Amino acid sequence: MESDIYQVYEDEIHSLEEEIEMLIQKFENKQESTFYSDEEIQISIKSLEGESKRHESPPDLKAELDCLESDLSFLMKFTGVWFTNYSKETVEKTGNKTIQKHRLSGTCYSLTFQMEFQLLEIQSNESISAVVTDLSIIMECGEYSDLSKFVSSAEERGNLLIFFRSLSSFAEWCEHRKCTFKHFKAKYPDIVRLPEGPSGDYLVIRSPELSGFELMIVWKIYVDAEGRVTPVLDLLPRIPVQALQHNKAAVENGPQCFRNMLLLLGIEASIESLIRSVGMEK
Amino acid sequence: MEEATAYLRDGVLSHLEKLEAHARKLALKQEETQRQQENLARLRARIQELRLQRDELQTKVNLQQVGLIRQEGATGSNVEPVQAAETRGQAFLKWKVENVKAMLQAFYLTGISGKLTKQGVCFCISTAYEGTYLDSYYLDLLIQQPVQIHHHSVPIFIPLEQIAKKYLQTDVKCFLAVLSDHLNAYAGRKYQADQLQDHFSAFLEGTLQRNSLHNVLFFNYDVETESKTFPFRAKLVYGDLTRSLPTEAIITCKAGDGSASLVEKTAAHSNLFRHTALHKAFDSFKRAAESLDQTV
Repeated sequence: MESDIYQVYEDEIHSLEEEIEMLIQKFENKQESTFYSDEEIQISIKSLEGESKRHESPPDLKAELDCLESDLSFLMKFTGVWFTNYSKETVEKTGNKTIQKHRLSGTCYSLTFQMEFQLLEIQSNESISAVVTDLSIIMECGEYSDLSKFVSSAEERGNLLIFFRSLSSFAEWCEHRKCTFKHFKAKYPDIVRLPEGPSGDYLVIRSPELSGFELMIVWKIYVDAEGRVTPVLDLLPRIPVQALQHNKAAVENGPQCFRNMLLLLGIEASIESLIRSVGMEK
Repeated sequence: MEEATAYLRDGVLSHLEKLEAHARKLALKQEETQRQQENLARLRARIQELRLQRDELQTKVNLQQVGLIRQEGATGSNVEPVQAAETRGQAFLKWKVENVKAMLQAFYLTGISGKLTKQGVCFCISTAYEGTYLDSYYLDLLIQQPVQIHHHSVPIFIPLEQIAKKYLQTDVKCFLAVLSDHLNAYAGRKYQADQLQDHFSAFLEGTLQRNSLHNVLFFNYDVETESKTFPFRAKLVYGDLTRSLPTEAIITCKAGDGSASLVEKTAAHSNLFRHTALHKAFDSFKRAAESLDQTV
């Protein structure tokens, strides 16, 4: 199994190297022994932008571009998915069948992705059907093990639509958790600790009065194979032994009470009331 | 007594040696796993790096093709004719328009695309089942107080009004996500039923009965096991309208003799239908029948 993965990666590296070689040749042949640096290319684009402003191009073309750019900007803000690079090329075209190779990279909140896939379009007299094949996604899933599993499952099924929807939802929850943690750290700096920083998945509430008394709120975000994203919060109390003897029932019931509180008040209000109850204990 | 102590000591020592050997083995195995993971991470990073390099080169080639990078010696003097500059400026704009259009088209693949209108926004919700893109639905919203649905192409049996009542005024994004769940689940159920009818009609006896929402399906099917054909009747109920798998699968055998093996079979079929796409379940029946033919 491992060797299979190695082989797939090695093959992809090999084909990418070949493609790069081909593009370099294509570029250099056209350049006719003239070399342009990246800066020069950027300057070239800038000067052209200036040119297209100076020599008034047909207003409809400029208006169309403005309109399209505002649509794109709106969609990116609305969905949270930002495309940084996109290209497609036709691999095969026969009669009513077209195969296109797509390459897409971008970010979704703090998560970045790169993908390649083929889109097989078949034109029938009624409509066009499109099928995604050979989907390959590269993502730094890092600490999110189930996100990694979900990505593999999406690749296997060619499930691009579900991938984007779940990625967007997952990234949004991560962002929400980060903002919530930051908010409480700023509001209660003496009581709240974030051992892994705001991007971590737990927050510690430490009583300034009672030493050794801590409440840890663990906030995990799960993605199942179907792409359903679920936030799960748990309370883990850490209490000195002597205190435990006095009020064992309260400690044992704590996590369940916290779950009930989440259902009634929601995430932020539940965390807030916990922090306040710890902060008020004298 | 001493013998016993020595024997015991030897036993303990050999046990410790075994434990040490096991620990060494485990450490080596862990090292190997870690090395493999590092290698994979290195390969992944290399792929990412090469893809970026490739994309940058592709951009350069594209720019070159629309004449953005000036060819030396293309004009005799340094002063470029106004006409040529205009043409190049236009070529650049055209290239930019095509680029943005392509990106907007790519949004179709994410499930939600759309464009701003004078009074609001027109969304397009695309549906797909696994890798196959199916129908798209349009929703023209008037962004005002309250937000209104101006036009839409959502089928009448999708509970659009209920969803709108619940989410539209408070969270448009959530409204679209829930609506998209309903539309994708419906598209998935319909797709499975169509696939069953188109590719596995040999198994079906009579027609597949379905309602417009495709949340209740009835069909009769024959499955051959142990060189005997059993006629089954199925009723699939999709209790959760945001999913494309049934919550209930009632299977009965029409030639039921009530034997334990038959009860087991119907239970297995019911379980299969609840956890596997309809056409995939029949694909497994087909494969089972084929392997049975080969063994006979």
